[in-house]
Amino acid sequence: MTAVVPSASEVEEGGSRYDRLIQPARVHGTLYTDPSIYAEELRKIWHRTWVFVGHESEVPQPNDYVRKQLADQDVVMTRDKDGEVHLLINRCAHRGLQVCDDQAGNSSSFRCPYHGWTYRNTGELLGYPYNKGYGGKNQLPLGMGKVARVDSYQGFVFGSLAEDGPSLDEHLGAAKGEIDRLVGLSPEGRVALDAGWLRHRTRANWKFLAENETDGYHPQFVHGSIFGVTGSPIGALYSDNSTAVTRNLGDGHSENDLRPEFREFAEPMRWFGTTPDRVPSYVQAMKDAFGEDEANRRMIEGAPHVMIFPNLFIAEIQVFNIQPVGVGECVQYSTAVQIDGGHELNQRMVSQSIGSVGPAGMLLADDTEMYERNQRGVAMADPEWLDVRRGLVRESVDADGFTIGAATDETGMRGFWNHYKSLMEAEDR
Amino acid sequence: MTRHEEGPHHEVGLEEGADDVVVPQGRVVESEFASIAVRLDREGNSVRLRVEDLRTGRVRHLDALELESIVWLGEGHLTQLLDPSHERWRG
Ligand code: FES
Ligand SMILES: [Fe+2]
Repeated sequence: MTAVVPSASEVEEGGSRYDRLIQPARVHGTLYTDPSIYAEELRKIWHRTWVFVGHESEVPQPNDYVRKQLADQDVVMTRDKDGEVHLLINRCAHRGLQVCDDQAGNSSSFRCPYHGWTYRNTGELLGYPYNKGYGGKNQLPLGMGKVARVDSYQGFVFGSLAEDGPSLDEHLGAAKGEIDRLVGLSPEGRVALDAGWLRHRTRANWKFLAENETDGYHPQFVHGSIFGVTGSPIGALYSDNSTAVTRNLGDGHSENDLRPEFREFAEPMRWFGTTPDRVPSYVQAMKDAFGEDEANRRMIEGAPHVMIFPNLFIAEIQVFNIQPVGVGECVQYSTAVQIDGGHELNQRMVSQSIGSVGPAGMLLADDTEMYERNQRGVAMADPEWLDVRRGLVRESVDADGFTIGAATDETGMRGFWNHYKSLMEAEDR
Repeated sequence: MTRHEEGPHHEVGLEEGADDVVVPQGRVVESEFASIAVRLDREGNSVRLRVEDLRTGRVRHLDALELESIVWLGEGHLTQLLDPSHERWRG
């Protein structure tokens, strides 16, 4: 320890605790290891802000339901008989039992196995056995818990456990345009996340993942093997010579924008590692839907690579849902994007996704090895800080007013920490 | 085709030459008073019974818990449901 670097215990003095832990060029290691900070994150981030939970396509039919996670909360996403989507907290109002146990099903009502209390799939209590003990039917003003606010954008369902706060629209901000870009690759203007989710338990703090998703500095090191095996041209886009940019989209969101590179090549479907003649039905459907020029523009620019704070990562062909489990553990749920009207693309999306994030996939396993080593590393005492200054010397502001850095810069991480800090400095309620 | 159910029923097929016939899918439970097609539907996240009133085309899906509740419906309740003025012809 040196005189100039304060230790975590000293950081309480001067400014807020987070002023000391989160600085423009560095962040403190305890942010990833301190259980009290994690407890505060649950209260101020995960139980307050909008969190990605799932996609409407996972409950396609009336009365479908799936079990999902919202941080430490076990949530049942239901579609009621009228088509509306709800997020119920999976807890009986009687004695607190977990009500639903299957991962998915179809039922207009849920019956708790303990004493038989029965709820509509909107959470409303519809009855209980032997009602004389309660003075008759409909005597209890109780129901399953509910995620206070539920909203969706392009079928992506988000929940907020806080009664009030910014709307989903405000929370998503500029990130909406990136979701639109993904959906714009569908000739029918819709995507589905119904291919099934893989679940990867990861022994690392959730923030390592959120930061890494738009870290363009690591791919050449960590992902050399998959780039080598697949002959993917993507690796080269993450270097100092690349015209791709890392963009701080505000509100904690960031992206690696590879479009400058793809526009230069001007080859439709290059982003997907293929050529139009190999996916002819899809290309035709795109042209029928949008006309030749617009379809080509979309197929040249490709899908987004965007990290939406705090837990939704859209990685071109697949989507990750990151959920914390504890200060040193999280789960990465991943699934292949399925495009309505995608024709040949959808099967390829699934196989590419399995190749990169499946049980024997090469991409996620490599990243996860880094996350877990990162978690072990930051438990060490010295040098205490993580450096996030890369690119500060060359940052600029783009035409839309967003801060951008080069492809390999830590501009996204700095945006993440800014937003994180503003949330953590807010008052407890 | 083997028939396992009891009571009046028949297999439903498209009549030749009648291209405007609506073809109900599944087995038919039928009497002189009503005609209902039933089949298992696997479109949802778990299996449901799809029940179609062939005289009106009205369709209802019944999940397992709803079916169990019907099985346990007392005769009195069921009789109430059969009263024409209970729901459909309430006036
Ligand atoms: S705990 Fe659910 S019915 Fe008693
Ligand atoms: Fe990676």
